[in-house]
Amino acid sequence: MTHVLESQLPILIVLLVLGTVAKVATVRSGGEPGALSRLGPAVLVPDRMKAPVMVACAAGELVMAAGLLLTTHPIFRWGTVAFFALSTYVLLELRRRRPDAGCGCFGEVSSAPVGLRSIGRTVALTVMSVMSVWAPVTGWEAAIRPSWLMAAGVAVLLALSPEIEEMIDRVRFRAPCEQRRGPAESVVLSRLRASGTWRAHEGELASAEPYDSWRELCWRFFAFRDQDQNDVVFAVYLSGRRPAVRMAVVSAEDSGSLPEYTPVSA
Amino acid sequence: MGHPSVERRRVLAAAALGRESGVPGPDPGSGDPMTAVAGEILDVSPHLIVIETPEGTEERLVIAPWATAWHGADAAPADLPVGSMVIMRALRDGRVVERIWADTTRITGTILSISGRKDLTVELDCGPHRGHRTIVIPYRASGRLQVRHPKFEPGYLFDAIGIRRDGTGLALLPATSQPPYPARAVPPPPPAYAGLQSRISGTVTWSDMFDEEERGAAYPMLERPDTGCPDAGVSCAGLPYLALGSLLQIRNICSRRSANVPVVACGCVAGRFCDRCVECDTSPRGRIAELSPFSYVELGGDLVKGCFNAQIGLG
Repeated sequence: MTHVLESQLPILIVLLVLGTVAKVATVRSGGEPGALSRLGPAVLVPDRMKAPVMVACAAGELVMAAGLLLTTHPIFRWGTVAFFALSTYVLLELRRRRPDAGCGCFGEVSSAPVGLRSIGRTVALTVMSVMSVWAPVTGWEAAIRPSWLMAAGVAVLLALSPEIEEMIDRVRFRAPCEQRRGPAESVVLSRLRASGTWRAHEGELASAEPYDSWRELCWRFFAFRDQDQNDVVFAVYLSGRRPAVRMAVVSAEDSGSLPEYTPVSA
Repeated sequence: MGHPSVERRRVLAAAALGRESGVPGPDPGSGDPMTAVAGEILDVSPHLIVIETPEGTEERLVIAPWATAWHGADAAPADLPVGSMVIMRALRDGRVVERIWADTTRITGTILSISGRKDLTVELDCGPHRGHRTIVIPYRASGRLQVRHPKFEPGYLFDAIGIRRDGTGLALLPATSQPPYPARAVPPPPPAYAGLQSRISGTVTWSDMFDEEERGAAYPMLERPDTGCPDAGVSCAGLPYLALGSLLQIRNICSRRSANVPVVACGCVAGRFCDRCVECDTSPRGRIAELSPFSYVELGGDLVKGCFNAQIGLG
């Protein structure tokens, strides 16, 4: 039983350290005006606060990783639970307010928009950290006694990581999604038509053929009209076989917009 | 599929992705705004210039004491001939002129043929949207141009600045050092994960193939089927794909000004140049945007110098 409780500790430590490294690297390389990559919870705070927020977050992760590794003090364990629970909330909020932003969990590799998998991953991590609260040994002791449960934890996290697909694409194409030639418009259109978002809104459209389509960075947009002559715009992410789809209705007179957000099929 | 309104794309994309749709125009934080003014000279004196704008209205502008002019060579503002077309950089809401370019044109394209013995006549292919153009290199400028164009033969790129006289373009100054490869053999961009280029920097140039008074940019990296431009999507600068209607945030590193400029055309020819700008420092290779003269001047660029070092982001 004791092996069960401590089995996930080493994974949490490694992830916290990776998170620290990636965030520090992003801050160090960043600073350009209007960065093309819009990453992580930092998009929710004002510009001048971005770097301090990321550094503070990275420092917190490092302290917790060290605490988990070297001591059994509950403050670090409950701190980790709080950290991952908070991350889940932040990702949900991020997905609601900025559907185009990636989670930034591992720096700019995590540039795909936040989907159910990223959120599932933070939930899994929260569960793992709750499990580890009552572990009787420190992180390094757990790490020198690997078990099958640890391997299972790693497998669950890998399955929930959208970054893996992006890494494979990077090895295949040697360029990030926004610099690769995208799939043909018809292919993306059929992916759109296979999505839940499309099925939910198909009935409102005046015509099933888009009147305009364009690509910007890693998204392809399709504009339709609905029966009231409003514009219905769908955005389809260009990477992945079942990509994220976003949509909004913009009234015909409106030049600003009051977007209507919908659940995502990611 | 047509392009009913590329302006609309920005609003729709911003709505779908829940982000702010940017506003075209200069960044308020980048100092006193400079305004570009264009027109035909009706009268000029050392302190005052009277022009007729393209809309047909007459405007009187004060010439600043430090103002300079260019008309094939540096000139005093008062010496500019009446009737020439000018683009001016003006301060104080466009009332005080500090730099005047008269009849200035830019000649950019691929050399198709060269003829003539003293004055050379050159036919250029300026890209699928802009067609062919025939220009003249006067004998006095040919040495200077050929030094910077060592491959002065058909199939290679040509880029020069000159003046329009009687409807013909006269090339006078080289606008770049000619890239050594044929126009069809653009080198590939550096590997994106080499970790060298964390921000997109390069050179920004201008072209007079835009509508008068238009503010906008030609951008090389557009999807071919979307734009109907068979030569788009080529660049050696590692640019991301954008669409007509996207808003580019361009920052002039030399003058520290930045502005949001919409993409209005396909930069097929600009994408073929893998050159550098040495205006204030040496820029990374590759033209990242080609601006209309108005946008270029308002970002603090000098038409005669032909380029400035810039960084781009998505506005």
